[in-house]
Amino acid sequence: MPDPVRMNGLSSAASALQMMEHRQQVLANNLANASTRGFKAETAFARLMGNAMAVTDTALDTTPGTLTETHNVLDVAVKGDGYFVTQTPNGDRFTRDGSFTLDSDRRLVDSRGNAVLGEDGPIQIRNGKIEIEEDGSLKVDGHQVARLRIERVAKGADLQHEGGTRFVPDATRQIVPPNERHVMQGFVEESNVNTMSAMTSMIDVLHRYGAAQKTLSTIDSVRGIATTELGKPI
Amino acid sequence: MDPALRAAATGMMAQQTRTEVISNNLANVNTPGFKRSRAHFEDLLYQSIQGQQVLGDPNAETAPAIQVGRGTRLAGIMRMHDQGTVEQTGRNMDVMIEGNGFFQLDNGRGNTAYTRDGSFQISDKGVLVTSDGWALQPPVRVPTDSSELNISKTGIVSVRRGKDLQPTEIGRIDLVAFANPSGLQSLGGNNYAPTASSGEPVIGVPGDAGMGTLQQGSLEGSNVEIVQEMVEMITAMRAYEINSKAIKNADEMGQMANNLTR
Repeated sequence: MPDPVRMNGLSSAASALQMMEHRQQVLANNLANASTRGFKAETAFARLMGNAMAVTDTALDTTPGTLTETHNVLDVAVKGDGYFVTQTPNGDRFTRDGSFTLDSDRRLVDSRGNAVLGEDGPIQIRNGKIEIEEDGSLKVDGHQVARLRIERVAKGADLQHEGGTRFVPDATRQIVPPNERHVMQGFVEESNVNTMSAMTSMIDVLHRYGAAQKTLSTIDSVRGIATTELGKPI
Repeated sequence: MDPALRAAATGMMAQQTRTEVISNNLANVNTPGFKRSRAHFEDLLYQSIQGQQVLGDPNAETAPAIQVGRGTRLAGIMRMHDQGTVEQTGRNMDVMIEGNGFFQLDNGRGNTAYTRDGSFQISDKGVLVTSDGWALQPPVRVPTDSSELNISKTGIVSVRRGKDLQPTEIGRIDLVAFANPSGLQSLGGNNYAPTASSGEPVIGVPGDAGMGTLQQGSLEGSNVEIVQEMVEMITAMRAYEINSKAIKNADEMGQMANNLTR
């Protein structure tokens, strides 16, 4: 009886084709978000499963994007590890896109209107000069009104993308101690997509896709010979 | 349709919007008091693609589900309220605000508008108005027999009347500040209206904390920096290009897949 894990060449080649298609989709999404603030690229890589099947796996590339100065009082960026926490109907979400604004109740919100959380819940800001300090303390006319909640997940824990530059944290979420924070007012974090490496990856994907396709066609023609040529009366 | 094609298409549309915003900034490089904008994007929803398993092997591991994004969308256009350049004009009714304040205007229809464009004129009614004809609020009335209009750093407007040797104070220019100026709604013509996001205007006089001071004989130029916009434009163009390459790549892969059956 044949080993069930051993796969025939056709399915191996087909799994490779599918893996390359997923890689191309991931690359296309990264490139589409080359100018999305706070965006973190997804890296796709191949994993060997069974003996001869390549499948895609993805991981979040958390390298920081470059910081751009905007001078807007409600633009904030986190330098180093840490995420802002917003309150959405589906639960708390992390984001690195700190271009915040105020809603009609003068609460600090993200561009979708989700409240940005401080250490004591949503932050309401009255009229006055707004200052945000390095540890996330938010001051109006020199008086502290709240401190932004800055959290992170444990090393190795995976953050899930949700769209809207939000991430779903897992159970390992924890508050970043105030002395380890670097919150910068008047700055935004740009996308961390490296278009150059994405371009080379795309060329790579295309060539490997071609190779897998050739392999598939070759196996197909070999089988074709086996079924049509063998046993033909001479 | 191939999701990679669609994601790349949203990327191209995003770069197009970005270029439109940059073009508007560049078109206003010489507009006094103009504030540049930037398009702001966010990623679309993600699709979880279920992991595969080797068939027929009960002990085989299941590949993890992967997250594949579907592109980008415009989240908003943000205006940046940093100080523009100083343009010396020498004209005595040109006033620049050095700081964060805004002039308060009456648009003639009972509404208050705000601007940073301080190129004033005297209207037929003898009050100081902007180039749109909107009067300063509270109005500054300039008598017909006045000469040598002077506006101090703290907003006091004085003139010399008739043959007087001493200047006479005829009014004061107030300033207002907003907690979040980028939340202001642009009305065109360099004028803004407050919104819930910008906060209520805080009225003060030039020289108060957070208002800034006035400088007569100068105008605030636009805060658009050509070099910076050009760099943005080049990045936008390159990003557009690379997204079109992603489309081409996905297309070629589709072609290869189609060639599998002869």
